[in-house]
Amino acid sequence: MDITVESIVFLIFGVLTLGSALLVVTTRNLFHGALYLMASLFGVAGLFVLLAAPFLAGVQVVVYIGAIAILIIFAIMLTPQVTAMRSVRTAQWPVAVAVAVIFFALLVSVVTPLMDELGVDDFAADFTQENPPDVPADSLVRLGEQLVDPQQFMLPFEVASVLLMAALIGAVLLVWPEGTRSTPPGEAGDD
Amino acid sequence: MNFSTDTQASVIAILPEILMTILAVAVLVYDVIWPEERRVQLGYLAGFGLMSIAGVVWLIGVPPAGGLQEQLLLGGMVRHDDMAQIFRVMVILAGALSCLLAMGVLKLRARGDFYAVLIVAVIGASLMSAAADLIMIFLALETTSITLYLLAGYLRDDDRSTEAGLKYFLFGAFTSAFTLYGLSLVYGLTGQTNIYELGKTLATNGLPDPPVVIALGLVAVGFGFKISAVPFHFWTPDVYEGAPTPITALLSSASKAAAVGLLLRFLLAVFPPPELLGALEGVKDYSAFWVQLAAVLSVVSMSLGNVLALVQSNIKRLLAYSTIAHAGYILIGVAAISTDCSGDGAAAVAFYMFMYVLTNILAFGVVILFANATGSEQISDLAGLSRRNPWLALAMTIALLSLAGIPPAAGFIGKFLLFRAAVNANLVWLALVGIVNVIIGLYYYLVVVKVMYMERSEDEDKPIPVGTPYSWALGISVAGVLLFGTILVTPLLDWATDAAHALYVLL
Amino acid sequence: MVPLWMYLMVAAGLFSIGLYGVLARRNAIAILMSIELMLNAVNINLVAFWRYQAPLALNGQAFAAFVFVVAAAEAAVGLALIITIYRRRQSVIAEDVDLLKW
Repeated sequence: MDITVESIVFLIFGVLTLGSALLVVTTRNLFHGALYLMASLFGVAGLFVLLAAPFLAGVQVVVYIGAIAILIIFAIMLTPQVTAMRSVRTAQWPVAVAVAVIFFALLVSVVTPLMDELGVDDFAADFTQENPPDVPADSLVRLGEQLVDPQQFMLPFEVASVLLMAALIGAVLLVWPEGTRSTPPGEAGDD
Repeated sequence: MNFSTDTQASVIAILPEILMTILAVAVLVYDVIWPEERRVQLGYLAGFGLMSIAGVVWLIGVPPAGGLQEQLLLGGMVRHDDMAQIFRVMVILAGALSCLLAMGVLKLRARGDFYAVLIVAVIGASLMSAAADLIMIFLALETTSITLYLLAGYLRDDDRSTEAGLKYFLFGAFTSAFTLYGLSLVYGLTGQTNIYELGKTLATNGLPDPPVVIALGLVAVGFGFKISAVPFHFWTPDVYEGAPTPITALLSSASKAAAVGLLLRFLLAVFPPPELLGALEGVKDYSAFWVQLAAVLSVVSMSLGNVLALVQSNIKRLLAYSTIAHAGYILIGVAAISTDCSGDGAAAVAFYMFMYVLTNILAFGVVILFANATGSEQISDLAGLSRRNPWLALAMTIALLSLAGIPPAAGFIGKFLLFRAAVNANLVWLALVGIVNVIIGLYYYLVVVKVMYMERSEDEDKPIPVGTPYSWALGISVAGVLLFGTILVTPLLDWATDAAHALYVLL
Repeated sequence: MVPLWMYLMVAAGLFSIGLYGVLARRNAIAILMSIELMLNAVNINLVAFWRYQAPLALNGQAFAAFVFVVAAAEAAVGLALIITIYRRRQSVIAEDVDLLKW
């Protein structure tokens, strides 16, 4: 692979993604962890741009960084004692490291040409493609149309909306302050 | 492959979901407009609403005639075949009975939002039964899971319930990430998302084994979690014990049945036995991998579930471990569907799930009544139940007999069919392990029966009242368990066999 | 262009880091963040596979979009459960959310 502008950009975003992700799972301070999470998610958005999916990159920034990460930060601030805890890791964290490393090795061995390089034939799937055909210029328009096309993705689209409605109702009523909704006698909560 | 664009067939294929969405909205609306004292009736609206939808599916939800192409609808997102129909009736019925059971829980019975979220969980389960596209599979799985996380934690004044909700959520989200990663690999290996298309591509692509096996293993994690097979069972006892009991009933019935239905379809479509692909050239056989996987998981689930159930003192935990053991029995059937392409294995699994759903609803219904009356879920406190309410004790006995596999309850026929399928598929050793486990299981089920009938307690003069919704729920499930174990075996089995045959049509 | 397997390696790395986080962290919110990392790894996979394997169809992009939706719903529900527990016990550190210990 030649050193091109693209490969340098890929390297930058890849390192940003993985480096921040490592900090997310190791940092003591949860609040910092959430900020690193945002950086990592931003790196992923950069990779999406490289992969010619600018729409998903935009969604990544708006939904993931703008909504989910902010929601997590709110939750961290609503649970103050948690940020001050002494030990962040369980006692079995070395086991966790081992599991993660083994899992990584396993995945890498089947999706990269590494095993072929090592001389083990017929082990990994062939994912060495470098020059796929160009993405059609109208693919974003088509994605929009297909999401509401009954012969394409209309059903999952509608199901997703039902899921979001149920999650919204459930989540709101789970944290709704007790007593603001009139309840039958004898059913009032104790907090 | 061109998918059918028949509008009428498409509407009928997702009619149950459309009706259930309307029902959920109706429950929410009546929650607002009905006065407080009337809101306790919401359970009837939700329960009998779902029950009529199950009836509609059974009567007019008949799949389109023809082959695979006519049945793959809405862009191939769902396949509307007999298998989808039988599992849909099953899960919607389970949802309906759970709604009726929820009417006995003081803090839940007047909450429209609870019933609405429950109905959405059933929508997800119903779609799982029919999903034929990776996107739809993922979305349906998550719709069921996410709503069930909420429902398990719905009693926010109860430490055990909130903890159950959180535990279920963390474990579920974790395992679903594995499944999703596996699905992304399956997509990547073929570039397609429709399971019937990509199954053919996968078989003829000439890929090396390891990536396919890894993808299969990752997907299996999520299924293992949903049917609570060992080693993905850790959440089961705590969540079953902590969650509101109607939700425990739903978890052990609808959620599990839908996952089993989806598992059958997914395995046969994505990793098919080569003989199903007929004339295609250079077909590679991946089915041996999942047969072995299912057999191994089956043995450990049965054995561990039964052994740990022996030492339980809480009835909900006992039923939780019994659920794990039953996941093992079901996996016997799953292991048998590949070698023997006659469809007997899949039919046995469908039959078994049908009776298992009814049996579990029955058992958990009795537990709710008992816990409400005594405030206890200990097995030892069941003493004297036969004198406090003989009908209740009888219902529980029927449920336990069915779980144990003793005639005339339907569990006997179900287990017999599963073991026969395993023998036909050259898995005699697996059937033998299953039979040994059934014998171990007999012990702890019969101990509960003995406590109910033989042991005395001081509260024997205090009868346990059974409310109207319970009479309905328990009556329907008792009738189901007994009828499907005796005179209605043949119709149900015929239906299950038709369903199984549809599953083997891949071209 | 950068070969496909490099993207897949980044995704595998991100997934494994998330896996470590879920198994090793004691705090429920930290576990939730780790799960979000795992879901992002899946999305890198999906988009990379779409770009290199089947850029003409849009299944991969649509799949990734639905993963966003589900991740949002999952985060909302998870945080609601976490906050409910926190209100009752003033803590979400509980060892009973420790996944390895079960």
